[in-house]
Amino acid sequence: MFTGCGVVSGQNQYLTRDAVRPHPGLEASRPIQMENGVTPGMCPVYQTYSNAGQPAVVNNVSAALKTAPLPVPLSALKLGQEGFKKVCRTEEDSPCPFPGLASGVLEMRVKEGSKIRNLMGFAMARMQGEKGVSGGGLSDGGLRQVVFTGSGRAVTKTITCAEIMKRKVGCLHQLTKLRYKVVKEVWESTEGGNSEMTVHRTVPSISILLSKDPLDPQEPGYQPPETLSALWEEREGAEPASQTACKRPFGPLPHGSFPNCKRVCLGEGVSVLPPH
Amino acid sequence: MMEPRNPGMSTVPQTAAAHTDSSTPAVEMDPVEYTLRKRLPRKLPKRRNDVYVNMKTDFRAQLARCQKLLEGGGHREICVHGLGLAINRAINIALQLQASSQGALQLAANTSTVELVDDLEPEDPDEAGEPMTRTRNNSAIHIKVFYPDPQ
Repeated sequence: MFTGCGVVSGQNQYLTRDAVRPHPGLEASRPIQMENGVTPGMCPVYQTYSNAGQPAVVNNVSAALKTAPLPVPLSALKLGQEGFKKVCRTEEDSPCPFPGLASGVLEMRVKEGSKIRNLMGFAMARMQGEKGVSGGGLSDGGLRQVVFTGSGRAVTKTITCAEIMKRKVGCLHQLTKLRYKVVKEVWESTEGGNSEMTVHRTVPSISILLSKDPLDPQEPGYQPPETLSALWEEREGAEPASQTACKRPFGPLPHGSFPNCKRVCLGEGVSVLPPH
Repeated sequence: MMEPRNPGMSTVPQTAAAHTDSSTPAVEMDPVEYTLRKRLPRKLPKRRNDVYVNMKTDFRAQLARCQKLLEGGGHREICVHGLGLAINRAINIALQLQASSQGALQLAANTSTVELVDDLEPEDPDEAGEPMTRTRNNSAIHIKVFYPDPQ
């Protein structure tokens, strides 16, 4: 199954301008150049899950957009192949996944193109309360809580940020929530027609609350501090096997001999139980 | 952390030198002349209800397997694990399971960091390059998909 392939084409020439991603949640339609091709079809699932395209009514796209003929992203979207381009993309407002959370909590919205060093530089400074930075903070020691959210392909980065912060700050209670987020996309025909389509698609999103104060351990998704390795240790008694979730090798690295690794490893004497 | 667990893994046909974990990475490394080989993630617990999601298997097959475990297999809970790129897919599977159960299933996600080991092997056996290893971290997710206890 494809994995959001083809996104690369048509994306590169816009990436240079993409230093600042359009902020989600803005209702206005944004210039397409920023986003086109960058975020289509992140994962196969919600393609099948909900791809309810409905002919739309709106027709408020500025003519300037039409003058720039964009290469249609060769994305997984059928829309793209049928001569449509994405005009705008808005994430629908969803309620805070952590009910009862104080209002002034720092929320880090991780995007696909966010740089971890930027995110972490900002978040760590706020959490550690350096130099008296305390906008909305509770007290001297910096903020007590921070929320990392990300959706689609930014999920991995979101987790990485949370993991880095846990490692650096220490003694953080964690609450992780998963859900689908609805994203509304407006597509417009590239063939000069006036037709537009609005697509509601659902992308998986993650929200991670990190708190210096204890959280409710009964809440699903709660993780006490310092469980970095305990997650794996606690299942030590389970039957050993070497079925893996190994990563597909990326990039230009020579990895032709990867299967070789696997074979040798399997021959290590670990009993291989094929999952039933 | 780097127990000499897979000593045979790093021997390649063209390098006669056997790789030991004691090799010191003192040499300045030129990345061009090394083959980077990723070892498998170490220490994977495997119960009957553990599902390791990867990016090679068809998504629907992995989803169907989880459904079978929950419905046919009689498990009250399963654990879906994803590492790196497969995190997305693991989340997707969990959310799909939850959606298709009409809210009967609950999710409890935990995140962790997994230490991975790469082997660096000299491309050219004639050159005096030493095999090395390098560790890096990757994020992982562990989602417990379960029927909440009626209380």
